Amino acid sequence: MKKVCFLFVVFILFSCSKEEIGPQCKNCVGNPIIPNSDKKILIVNEGNFGFGNASLSVYNPTTKELTNSVFQQANNFPLGDVAQSATLINNTIYVVVNNSSKIEVINKTNFTSIATLTGLISPRYILQINNTKAYVSNLFSNQIQLINLSNNTIIGSISTPSNWTEEMLLFNDTAYICDVSNNQILLINTNSDAVITSVSTGEQPLSLVKDKNNKLWILCDGGINSSLPQLIKFNPQTRQTEQVFTFNSINESPSEIEIDSAGEHIYFINNHIYKMNINDAQLPATSWVSNNNHIFYGLKIDQTTNDIYVSDAKDFVQNSTVFRYSQNGQLLHQFNAGINSGAFLVVE
Amino acid sequence: MVKHITHIIFIVLSSNLLAQEKLDTIHFKPFTVVDFKLPTSYTTTKIDSAAVVSSQNLSDMLQQNSTVFIKTYGAGSLASVSFRGTGASHTKVLWNGVALNSPMNGQIDFSLYPTFFFDNAELHHGAGGLIDGNGALGGSVLMNNATPDFSASKKPYQLSISSTVGSFGKYINTIKASYNTKKNWMLETRIYYAVAENNFEYINIAKQNNPKEKLERANFTQKGIQQSIIKKLKNNTLGVRFWYFNSDRNLSPTLLSENNNEAQKDESFRTLLEWKGFVEKFSYQLTGSFIADKLIYENEKSAILSESNTKTTGLNGNLSYYITKKTTLLAKVNLQNENANSDGFLTTKNRLNTSFLVGLESKIKKLDVAIFNRTSKVENNNNFFAPTLSLGYQLPKIEQFYVKASFGINYNYPTFNDLYWNPGGNPDLVPEKAKMSEVGLKYLPKNNKNVAAEITYFYSLVDNWILWQPTATAIWSPTNLKKVENKGVEARLSVQQKISEVIIKISSKYAYTQSTNIELHSTDNASINKQLIYVPKQQFNTDFLVQFKNTSLSYYYRYTGIRYISTDNNWLLPSNYVSDVAIQQQIKITNYNLALKFRINNLFNQNYQSIAWRPMPQRNYLLTLSFSL
Repeated sequence: MKKVCFLFVVFILFSCSKEEIGPQCKNCVGNPIIPNSDKKILIVNEGNFGFGNASLSVYNPTTKELTNSVFQQANNFPLGDVAQSATLINNTIYVVVNNSSKIEVINKTNFTSIATLTGLISPRYILQINNTKAYVSNLFSNQIQLINLSNNTIIGSISTPSNWTEEMLLFNDTAYICDVSNNQILLINTNSDAVITSVSTGEQPLSLVKDKNNKLWILCDGGINSSLPQLIKFNPQTRQTEQVFTFNSINESPSEIEIDSAGEHIYFINNHIYKMNINDAQLPATSWVSNNNHIFYGLKIDQTTNDIYVSDAKDFVQNSTVFRYSQNGQLLHQFNAGINSGAFLVVE
Repeated sequence: MVKHITHIIFIVLSSNLLAQEKLDTIHFKPFTVVDFKLPTSYTTTKIDSAAVVSSQNLSDMLQQNSTVFIKTYGAGSLASVSFRGTGASHTKVLWNGVALNSPMNGQIDFSLYPTFFFDNAELHHGAGGLIDGNGALGGSVLMNNATPDFSASKKPYQLSISSTVGSFGKYINTIKASYNTKKNWMLETRIYYAVAENNFEYINIAKQNNPKEKLERANFTQKGIQQSIIKKLKNNTLGVRFWYFNSDRNLSPTLLSENNNEAQKDESFRTLLEWKGFVEKFSYQLTGSFIADKLIYENEKSAILSESNTKTTGLNGNLSYYITKKTTLLAKVNLQNENANSDGFLTTKNRLNTSFLVGLESKIKKLDVAIFNRTSKVENNNNFFAPTLSLGYQLPKIEQFYVKASFGINYNYPTFNDLYWNPGGNPDLVPEKAKMSEVGLKYLPKNNKNVAAEITYFYSLVDNWILWQPTATAIWSPTNLKKVENKGVEARLSVQQKISEVIIKISSKYAYTQSTNIELHSTDNASINKQLIYVPKQQFNTDFLVQFKNTSLSYYYRYTGIRYISTDNNWLLPSNYVSDVAIQQQIKITNYNLALKFRINNLFNQNYQSIAWRPMPQRNYLLTLSFSL
């Protein structure tokens, strides 16, 4: 009986000790944030849908120092669920957090949250149109939202024929927007905020870049084993498709198109990293950097150094490794960031 | 012998005296049907009717009375299990011997089984689960309705009505009525209705300054009816059981995701036809079953409205032949037709599973031996060899100690989702294979039934573990990717003591589970040799009961160690320890009983999450008034 009472007391004591509540990351933080104006690579770690483990890592390309979970560190609350993209607008970082339906507006030096833009549906990317206006693309919503950048509020929307718009690109007074579910590019006049026309593409256009000749390169992944992926060269002045490069197999799923600073070489992920000159007549036959059994996920070219950053998402439920290559394909450095490093932002 | 193969024992006999010469002489006397026991050399957890009644649903019951880990999305929300470190589809769940696992995902939602609908439960750990069927790679959970008592002493009418009021808009009302006729008919009806708002307050650690907020969209309504009609014939019984259950709930978002206005409706019809009896040295049981489940999922934001319908028709035949006093032959045949129709499949899927188990259980002096083999055919997969061997030995000098060891192989066949889900399903999957083993020691003092203790070390390897992962085409697809090693220790101790008029009972369970990835295809992958996500290494629970005459006080405590939530074990959820306390007063008035029960859940008001960013309720109260006749 004494023993029983003793046990009982032990349980009660146990139950009264101090508690941590939510998810903890034991090896995530690493270095503390030291606010400075150095050039940085911001790594957007998407996290897992529903796990709430999206995070931001910061890499200093000069010192090769890495700081993880900078948002949590700076603000004392988590970034959110599924961080999709980050964009530098008016010297401030805009991080689109898809499944939290918000955009965090963050100080680029110390990563504190300046504003949280809420009321969005399922935001994917933000595109700055001018000093006061931006567009936000959406999944599960037939609209592009209009943002007033001076006070970070939603001021309106543009109806789209699609419930899934993805990457966007601004050229002159037109925004070119990937309309994924309708297999087309939407052209929006940025003065009137009206859809002017649309241009058909291959199945599921997801990403696009502009080369030195002001031609757009649109990468379509071909859907889920449903059609051959395509790389499309499009002339925005004539609104004509100039060339269509078709991939060999419906099992391929090219993604993450990037272009170097000269606007001459295109890079994309198709299991491996491929590199292609804008004047090439065919898709590259061999890869530029082989994946070596890594699961390449996010890709970025630093427009000043032409260094290439690519992430390995591994099994998608653990911290990614980021590889940094020189433009010659030489591995310069590798380090571990957060879970599913999907997007990068060069902050200068 | 084998559990859920019930057989008939004449009440004048004790269960271990099945001598044929005696049976012949008392053929026509009243009998009761008792459940067969899994050979004692396997590890089992028995959950008696008192423990069943003290929990609300299967999920709560396992959490408090076993070391099976429950992964719950919150009160009233989806609950899945991990048994000895295995995955959610690796636990076989049976109701009166009939498997309830969905042919679509191989799981059940443990929150949708109120304990009100069954009377006792039993867990078969590890290799013993093979006797219950394919797919029990961690073990099996059996919910059973008590065998009707046709003895003359029993009251013909029984009625019990119970009403519970709880925090956060919870109301549970149940009625159970039964009638035993003198002509050996038993009719029983159980009706259940529960509703909860679940709008509890929690500390939102996902927001700046951790404001207190109220949970939204976690409300549910559950209703069900179960009807049993059993007729006792000369040496056998014939019965029908019907169980309808309906659940309608909103699904709350995580603390970090925006409200998607998700909702889910589940509806189940379960029908069993049982015939069991006894002829000379044979006992037999034949069960026909039909289980139909419907699931409707709605997501307003994504404009998704999807419906899945599954129908499982089964025929189970069990035959025991008592060759001698000490040796029994067991044969089981299982035919199961699985049918599923879902928005996730291009066409309706159908398959026939056939399975046959044969084996012997024998007692050779002080050695218990059990050996079985299961042969299965599931579509193109034929497995002739899935054996299990179990040995138990009562130590000669110290008879209260019993040494046990068992081994076994079991297969889990890919589910319809694994094979056919569009997109992503992989028709080339092979069955998951588990090799299980364990050794242990039981302490059962012969002259003291008030103390029992057991410790078991288990080791198992699961090969071809099916894992869904994104592929090169960015869609999620399952492959036979992992090799997982599960090992650990399970221990239990129960003590019961009567001091004058006070009864004290303590029952504790502990498990240490190390569940690791031991083989990976990619070299640079930090998940190798790491603990699987959402499998706690440490689990402990204890019940403490003090009873004085018609008053009882219960204290429930459970500890769950950290759970990793990333495969590299960098991210984790902290451990939690939750205490509940209940006080109950029985009032006996000539012809009827009243019982009043007051329960405080999460007594110490702990803030915790079972799944990342899903808050669990803080301190809450339940008041139950029961009336029985």
